[in-house]
Amino acid sequence: MSDFEKLGVVIKYEFLKHIRRARLYIILGIALLAEALVLILVPTLMTGGFPDNVKVMAALLTVGPSMAALGAVFFAGDAIAGEYESKTGFLLFTNPIKRILLWSGKYLAGFIAIALLMIFTYIIIAISLLAIYQEVPIEIFKSFGLALFYAAATLSTTFFFSALSKGSMGATIMTLVFVWVICGILESVLALTGNPYWYVLSAGGDSIALVYGGMEQMMSGFGGGFGGGSDMLNMFKSPTLGMAAWGMTIYFVGGFIASIFLAKRRQLS
Amino acid sequence: MGDSIVIENLSRYYGKFLALDNLSLRVPEKENIGLLGPNGAGKSTTLKILCGLIQPTSGKAYIDGIDVVAHPEQALSRIGAIIETPEFYSFLTPVDTLNYFGQLRGMKGEPLNKRVKELIALVGLEKWSKEKIGKFSRGMKQRLGLAQTLLHDPPVLILDEPSLGLDPRGVVEFREIIKGAGKEKTVFFASHQLVEVTQICSKVAIINNGKLLAYDSITELEKKYQTLELAYLKLTGGV
Repeated sequence: MSDFEKLGVVIKYEFLKHIRRARLYIILGIALLAEALVLILVPTLMTGGFPDNVKVMAALLTVGPSMAALGAVFFAGDAIAGEYESKTGFLLFTNPIKRILLWSGKYLAGFIAIALLMIFTYIIIAISLLAIYQEVPIEIFKSFGLALFYAAATLSTTFFFSALSKGSMGATIMTLVFVWVICGILESVLALTGNPYWYVLSAGGDSIALVYGGMEQMMSGFGGGFGGGSDMLNMFKSPTLGMAAWGMTIYFVGGFIASIFLAKRRQLS
Repeated sequence: MGDSIVIENLSRYYGKFLALDNLSLRVPEKENIGLLGPNGAGKSTTLKILCGLIQPTSGKAYIDGIDVVAHPEQALSRIGAIIETPEFYSFLTPVDTLNYFGQLRGMKGEPLNKRVKELIALVGLEKWSKEKIGKFSRGMKQRLGLAQTLLHDPPVLILDEPSLGLDPRGVVEFREIIKGAGKEKTVFFASHQLVEVTQICSKVAIINNGKLLAYDSITELEKKYQTLELAYLKLTGGV
């Protein structure tokens, strides 16, 4: 039996685990709820209903896929740590398969699950935009590609913490703190001090919306911006999409390689 | 006939604790050997090294002549193992689980389906075959563990306390299955249940503090120490 066939078997059963777990549907629910909130709150709170520019609304609706991408944390938190913590590794590791194939299969199964969530959230975005504006901006494909890339980077980062951590919960919390708190603070500080921040993971997340235009364009879509706040916004120099993609590549490749290295050193004693 | 399992000068440290101290042992093909010793004697460590779960600090271990550390995949393809109380993915059913592990071992199609059905019947899990394992008791998991051990009809069985958590009927059924399998296979079997070992194995290895204290047939040990229990107690320092 070839390694490729074994990888296929791991993906198949790991994916089966994902679709049988409630967390997939909870994350999908949260992502759809986020999109629903945008669709309800924007016309309610804005005078004149939805923004005139379809791209502004498309950018706002990317909150759904962004939430779905963070689902990676919940799919992958137990990918490596769980095998040791729940001792399922005592059975899995006695099978004649290279560990790298096991981890790669788990990674790909998680990625497929997130990609499905993404596709679903983007379909909702497209339908909503068609219903409201009778058009869908072509940038939606770029946004979708970057969202998948961001999910892959987040998945790799979670794998890294899962390989490092003793337990699944620890891995999940560490990743959430890293992505939401540490990266968030770092990005804000770097942006406000005029420094480049393309290499911060959350900048990759921002790029999902920035394909529709810069921060300034977004704010003008709301009818003139936020008064004095627009001075502050001018200080933000959003990274180019290319730079944001490079930043995500670091986490995607680096996180995965580091997780494989760490997991290889772990033993089930 | 050659040796199915060869352990040569195996040592293993956990930090500063020496769990295995230059252990050497040979398990001949198609023999059923019990591995006895008190808690912390090094039994599980030995079996985990044989199953590629941990690496030895020094020494070698071979399954059917294949170095477990150098060629783990080839060595693992020759064994079926239960180490500790088996834990399964709670979202899969026994049928899913056996299909998963069977496919990882290159089994597929109708022969795999037939084998899965056969084994589920053998371990008495027919009623539960399509239920998620998350609902299973320890004994049911142990039964499923035995099924996955036999799934690919391996020539070598490595079992660590396989009847732990089973009810008395389960223990008897389990013993009969292992005894049946042991006629055609090599069984290396760690247990605290001396009665069980006596009924399944012809020979035992007694270890303590990671060292081999005795390796002989049960008959010989009984001649020397009156009973296997006394042999165990005297050798491990209990009497």
